[in-house]
Amino acid sequence: MAKIDLDKMLTKVKNTQWALSDIDWEAPGADLITEEQWPKLKEFMADLMWIEHVGARAFAAMAKKAPTDTLRELYTYFHAEEQRHANAEMALMKRWGMLDGDELPEPNINLRLVIEWLDRYSDEMPVYVLGTVVPMLEIALDGALCKFLLDTVDDPVCHQAFEKINDDESRHLGVGFTVMEMQGHGATYIKMVEMAAQLMDPRLILGIASYFPLLNKMRDNVVAMGLSEEKLYECMRKFEKIGGRTEDGRRNVWFQIIKQHSRWVVDRDNRFYHAPVDAIVRLTGYIPRKALPAIPSWVRELTYKPTA
Amino acid sequence: MSKSTTTRKNPSATVLIVGAGFAGLGAAIRLQQAGIRDIVTLERADRVGGTWRDNNYPGAACDIPSNLYSYSFDQNPDWSRSFSGSEEILGYIQAMVERFGLQKYIRFNQNVTDLAFDDELGVWHATTEAGEVFSGRAAVMAQGPLSNAGFPDIPGIEDYQGHKIHSAAWDHDYDFRGKKVGVIGTGASAIQIIPELVKEAGKLTVFQRTPAWVMPRPDFETPDWQKTLFRKVPASQSALRKGLYLAHESMALAVIWDSPVTRMAERLGRWHLKRQVKDRWLRRQLTPDYRIGCKRILVSNDYYPALQQPNCKLITWPIARLSEHGIRTVEGIEHQFDAIVFATGFDVSHSGTPFPVRGSGGRLLADDWKRGAQAYKSINVAGYPNLFLTFGPNSGPGHNSALVYMESQIDYIVKGVKTILSRNLKALAVRDRAQQEYNEAIQQRLAKTNWNSGCKSWYLTEDGFNATMYPGFASQYANQMKELDLRDYSLVTA
Repeated sequence: MAKIDLDKMLTKVKNTQWALSDIDWEAPGADLITEEQWPKLKEFMADLMWIEHVGARAFAAMAKKAPTDTLRELYTYFHAEEQRHANAEMALMKRWGMLDGDELPEPNINLRLVIEWLDRYSDEMPVYVLGTVVPMLEIALDGALCKFLLDTVDDPVCHQAFEKINDDESRHLGVGFTVMEMQGHGATYIKMVEMAAQLMDPRLILGIASYFPLLNKMRDNVVAMGLSEEKLYECMRKFEKIGGRTEDGRRNVWFQIIKQHSRWVVDRDNRFYHAPVDAIVRLTGYIPRKALPAIPSWVRELTYKPTA
Repeated sequence: MSKSTTTRKNPSATVLIVGAGFAGLGAAIRLQQAGIRDIVTLERADRVGGTWRDNNYPGAACDIPSNLYSYSFDQNPDWSRSFSGSEEILGYIQAMVERFGLQKYIRFNQNVTDLAFDDELGVWHATTEAGEVFSGRAAVMAQGPLSNAGFPDIPGIEDYQGHKIHSAAWDHDYDFRGKKVGVIGTGASAIQIIPELVKEAGKLTVFQRTPAWVMPRPDFETPDWQKTLFRKVPASQSALRKGLYLAHESMALAVIWDSPVTRMAERLGRWHLKRQVKDRWLRRQLTPDYRIGCKRILVSNDYYPALQQPNCKLITWPIARLSEHGIRTVEGIEHQFDAIVFATGFDVSHSGTPFPVRGSGGRLLADDWKRGAQAYKSINVAGYPNLFLTFGPNSGPGHNSALVYMESQIDYIVKGVKTILSRNLKALAVRDRAQQEYNEAIQQRLAKTNWNSGCKSWYLTEDGFNATMYPGFASQYANQMKELDLRDYSLVTA
């Protein structure tokens, strides 16, 4: 993946737009979902949809902090495109009878915590923190979850939707890695220390505290569906390989931190990491829903309806 | 290439004015008061009023208090509100025509298509769409900077089959009741239209690209005692006008330059937003991410509440394209509408001219302005003798009444025309060097202003050149327009 020209990419993004109404959601093939698949697929799709949606919100935060006009516009588009993915995935769920009327699928408690954090603090985060986390999540989505879905599900409408989603994601990744290298470019020792110092920001610590258990919970969900951990591991290696292909990329402290973290996540044998994080997953399961503030209004923008 | 009119040796008029809006009519009044009555005003429509004739969408009103958004030489004691609506402002303009007997100067339905200087005769010839040619020793371009509006260049705009309405050409026959209506734009016109449309439309969807700074609008009905006082003691109205003028002058500190007052103004804007919008995400969508003053500041008390009506929705997703039934946004949804209102502003010409303007030796103003419009004191252009611009390059106000600037320009024009007449000049031509020095200074000053602080606005060209705004107080502008310094001009006698 060569370093890309962001201005050209913006033009390309604008010229390759698609809408939910480009897909015939009533086309035959919905019955190809087996009865056995259905309950697990329902959970998987809900998780996937919510990851896209929180990814969208992260891009919105990045747009606020983007260092250039082009990046700001790219992130504004990516924010909307991730929302489009979530909408399309919700439309698939509707097609497969997985939605309860017009209701949004219920986000799990760890997602709720991440949504809460994004709503309160993400706009305050330095762009390079989210700018490194998001490509990592996207590569996991792009490389493992979506591929796995297409290997497992035969419905042609699902394939049609994910072909479009994957095209978008590859552009997001291209920009993501280019920005990671930009951030590492000419990084001095002081700059690197400054970047790492953000770790001490209590808002970021809160974010990490909600993000770590979410990842573990997701991993458990996808593994339960039959995705091999090896595939997740491959994705992380891809992230390491592309993110660290240049000197600039490697100098990005956040790349190093997230790379290290992703190694821990995929290494089930790392008890030092997983024991406490899994414990947090269990603990968060006890948080009563009522204790959480109302769902922020940006969540209500999700829809499976191609027209409004 | 100047059009030679060998058959007409004497000019048909002393002054040719293009446009019968505020500027053109104001110029006619002041010229008349100076004893110059040989005036021809060419108006493309069949009525006077310019901006205020065209912009009569629901809720159209002025952003500057009426006592300041009117001519000091024709004050109106009867303004019904502190910020009057477009109809009342248009009424004031029409009454001005009556009061000063300007009808005799105006030629209606004369849309100028070409304006050319005849070096030999020292005369400007205006050719109109109707095929007529009008001439004058001096010409005043008062066609207005915001007079041409077209539908924006959005992909698929031709595909949309519903009703299309532009804010500057309102369709008063369209019945909005119960309809699904989209509004594109959240600028000065949109924030006035939306609170009105939301009362009628079944569902109103507002598409925003960039949120603006919106300030509270101290708008109230004028009490009867005030009207009586103004009528009986005109000095009291002049005093109020002066007070308003000074109050607006002080706003320059917030609007034009980055100062502690700028921070205070931003705090006021955020307070207004927080007070009126309780939802955090909506507030985030409506929070500007550029310094106040960089783009036009808006004033409204009912815009934010309108957006929160149950039948109204704000969309901040980028628009991908228009389709047969509505607007497709990047989040993949097609928003379908019976009608779309385009409150997308005007075609502001930063470099071109609304019609070809040919100066000395046939040079084209659009060519001279290719790299950004430039003029001397915003009013004269080197190579275009006896031509006066109203709202020319770098005369835009960001903080005070446009009419304050206009008055200075008009009085300068009167001085210029009087000079042409008293010295019997064929050409009063500003020197290149004077124009260049003036613009170097202006651009240096502009570099330090909020307008040039990084946001994208209609004040700037695509390359970021500011040919629109005047970087200073209105008093500074008035001061520079006080004198017509003949050392900066070359004079050619007839």
